[in-house]
Amino acid sequence: MENTKIRILALGYNPPIMAVVLRLINSHDNWNGEMASSLEEALFKLSNHSYDVVLLCAGVSSPDETILKQNISAVGPKTRLIRHFGGGSGLLESEIRRGLQQ
Amino acid sequence: MTQYICHKAETRGHDYSDWLDSKKTFSFADYYNPKRMSFGALRVLNDDVLTGGSGFGTHPHDNMEIVSIPLSGSLRHEDSLGNHNVVSVGSVQVISAGTGLFHSEYNGSPTQPAAFLQLWIYPDVLNTTPGYTAITLPRTFRENHLYPFIQPGNGAATVTIRQDTWMSMGFFDNASVTEYQMHKEDNGVYAFVIGGAFDIDGRVLQNRDGLGIYNGEGVTIRSLSDQAGLLLIEVPMSLPFAV
Repeated sequence: MENTKIRILALGYNPPIMAVVLRLINSHDNWNGEMASSLEEALFKLSNHSYDVVLLCAGVSSPDETILKQNISAVGPKTRLIRHFGGGSGLLESEIRRGLQQ
Repeated sequence: MTQYICHKAETRGHDYSDWLDSKKTFSFADYYNPKRMSFGALRVLNDDVLTGGSGFGTHPHDNMEIVSIPLSGSLRHEDSLGNHNVVSVGSVQVISAGTGLFHSEYNGSPTQPAAFLQLWIYPDVLNTTPGYTAITLPRTFRENHLYPFIQPGNGAATVTIRQDTWMSMGFFDNASVTEYQMHKEDNGVYAFVIGGAFDIDGRVLQNRDGLGIYNGEGVTIRSLSDQAGLLLIEVPMSLPFAV
């Protein structure tokens, strides 16, 4: 059952907010979340694991997003890069659902 | 040519629990409708009623401009920036979440319900310093005209948010006519009825109906009842980043 879950790597630079985002992700029956608190950590995880979604959260800049896009196109072209706004439960579900449908 | 998109009140998402009655114009939380994701930079328009003593416990936000407009009762706000405040009818509060903050919003009354609108607008720049502002609107905002309480550039009893946004509200006697001109060519305006009924460019809107207008220069607004209340939200129709 575990391997049917959507694997989400959440990258963000505000630890208290990221703890909440990760809890929200993992409270969803069909999602399995991991956290990265730096670009380097995210790139390392992307080189070692496959993810369905990389979620860009608080503090992630546009240059970091560009680097991640380039990395994903090289190592995991099926991975969706989705920017999360709002930092809480309000938009998370619809952002991920829409991102996976696109 | 001017384009219109109408959201009738009864087509909104609706969540109801023992503490919150929430009607959502756009996808939010458990309400997901891929055709109702936003109107330009306006991402959330929730029409919420809190029971007495209840509220939203401490939770985070980032990268969003969050406007709360009490319609009845009051909201008690606290945040991680050290702000403590109570806003009631005739006041508006704005949270600029930026790099992130935590806040709580509780009904200011232990017994009476509190109704308020919650609007979220995408910022034009990400990861800015968080902030909080509350203003009291002048009494004249109820006198047959639209009062702009959010607009670029600081003015008396107005707030500036991190987006090219103009937000206006007014209450009108029956058959009052008002013109609204768009401030920027690429902007659209979302009209939301908060009391009574209106005719906007020939389209009749009842209480809590919404009408998005874009690719136009302005609209003609006619009230169809006494004490008719209208909120207008003018926002950019495109954003500098993917959402």
